[in-house]
Amino acid sequence: MKKLYMRIERCAGCKRCELACVEEHKKIDGLNPKTRIFVESINDRPVPVVCRHCRDALCVSACMAGCMQKDENTGIVTNQGHEQKCVGCWMCIMACPFGVISLSDDEATINSYAFAQAVKCDFCPDQDTPACVSACPNEVIEVKDIKEEALCGM
Amino acid sequence: MRYVIIGNSAAGVNAGEEIRRKDKESEIIIISNEKDIAYSRCLISRFLDGRLPETQLYFKTKKFYRDFNIKPILGKRVTAIDTSGQSVNLYNGERFSYDKLLLAIGSTPARPKICGLDLEGAFNFYSLEDARKINNYIKNVKKAVIAGAGFAGLEAAYALRKLGVGVTVVERCSQILPNQFDYISSELIREDLEGLGVEVILNESLTSINGCGTIESVTIGEDTDISCSMVIFATGVKPNAQLASEAGLNKDRGILVDEFLKTSNPNIYAAGDCIEIEDMNTGKRQVSATWFNAVLQGKFSGLNMLGIAKRYSGLVGIQNAVQFHRLGAISFGMTQVTDDDLNY
Repeated sequence: MKKLYMRIERCAGCKRCELACVEEHKKIDGLNPKTRIFVESINDRPVPVVCRHCRDALCVSACMAGCMQKDENTGIVTNQGHEQKCVGCWMCIMACPFGVISLSDDEATINSYAFAQAVKCDFCPDQDTPACVSACPNEVIEVKDIKEEALCGM
Repeated sequence: MRYVIIGNSAAGVNAGEEIRRKDKESEIIIISNEKDIAYSRCLISRFLDGRLPETQLYFKTKKFYRDFNIKPILGKRVTAIDTSGQSVNLYNGERFSYDKLLLAIGSTPARPKICGLDLEGAFNFYSLEDARKINNYIKNVKKAVIAGAGFAGLEAAYALRKLGVGVTVVERCSQILPNQFDYISSELIREDLEGLGVEVILNESLTSINGCGTIESVTIGEDTDISCSMVIFATGVKPNAQLASEAGLNKDRGILVDEFLKTSNPNIYAAGDCIEIEDMNTGKRQVSATWFNAVLQGKFSGLNMLGIAKRYSGLVGIQNAVQFHRLGAISFGMTQVTDDDLNY
């Protein structure tokens, strides 16, 4: 399963990953596209923070609509493209230990059921390589194919 | 090996799913007294006001039961557990033996004991069936009174308002959402509610429902009457522990379980609203009726029933997320100051 790995010592904090993420998700988000990756300042150093697509994802457990799901084959956790729809209850935001789920800025364009939608990394389904990875000039973000069972905890 | 799960909601379904992921061979049966496939109780207000069609309430689809080879037995009530014979008895005389049993039997709405509960127009707001009943009744309703300003009560208030019904919410505490939020954030939500034309009455409770056949008014406190034709009770829930206590399992307010979600019988586990377990904030035993806790307890109990010992790391009783109208809110940890906190 593919995961995003960070070589944080290489990050210069240019936030090009954030820009690329916003650009990539324009078509889903509409007029107010949002980033799904966040360059945070941790101990005065820039650190990109993005969804870990956890093995036992707490956002999936918390989702009362059954919309946030983890794909058995790809391991990707997303609330997009499922039979159940996001109702905007924010239980996933509450449950996420990494703080990488946010809410869309304006009333949802995808479905009329919710005031707004949960927004998170979807591993860029239309791209071979996620936009943030392609955009990073310092090769901070890397896609690694790993066996998820080998991970513990996540 | 046969796993029997009583309860077809958050805890029960997730336990079944977790068991099947690790064990492809054993038989898994889910029994529920509700006739619907697993639906999200939290979404019934969205069904009531028409934002969600019924098909969107299901957090698992029919395909789920097939894919996970789980046999659902729906619309049938379990009347007794025979712990020595390791079987459960259904109301119609059917009997299912079990090797491991999970009680995910949820909670029941707690109505205050007042006069007039049997009048036409008094409803709970707990199940999809309740929402359907309210839906059928609402056409001629101009004014409704909601008892209780917790999540269920306020969801109902917003939904009814959306349907054009006049709403008064009566809460016995000094703020709305007393178990979920602190005073300051509850006031923000109250302003939003009142902005929509909902009347909020605090520090009072219903003392009687008046009418002849159908509801005509309610009495609040000593002698204040409010005319209305519908009353919705959202005054909290109590754990369903009777089935367990009749089977000789230990219970207090809820079914007592250890950190592995095992009851006092080694082959019976329990999870979700029906249990009472230590809260990691306070160290005290608590009951909790939140979705997230129920799902996690379901998963952990599933693993423990398989024999994969996994310690449930402790209930976080107070942890809530909600979107009312245009106001989103999340709370963590203890939101109220208790008398114990002041003894320093």
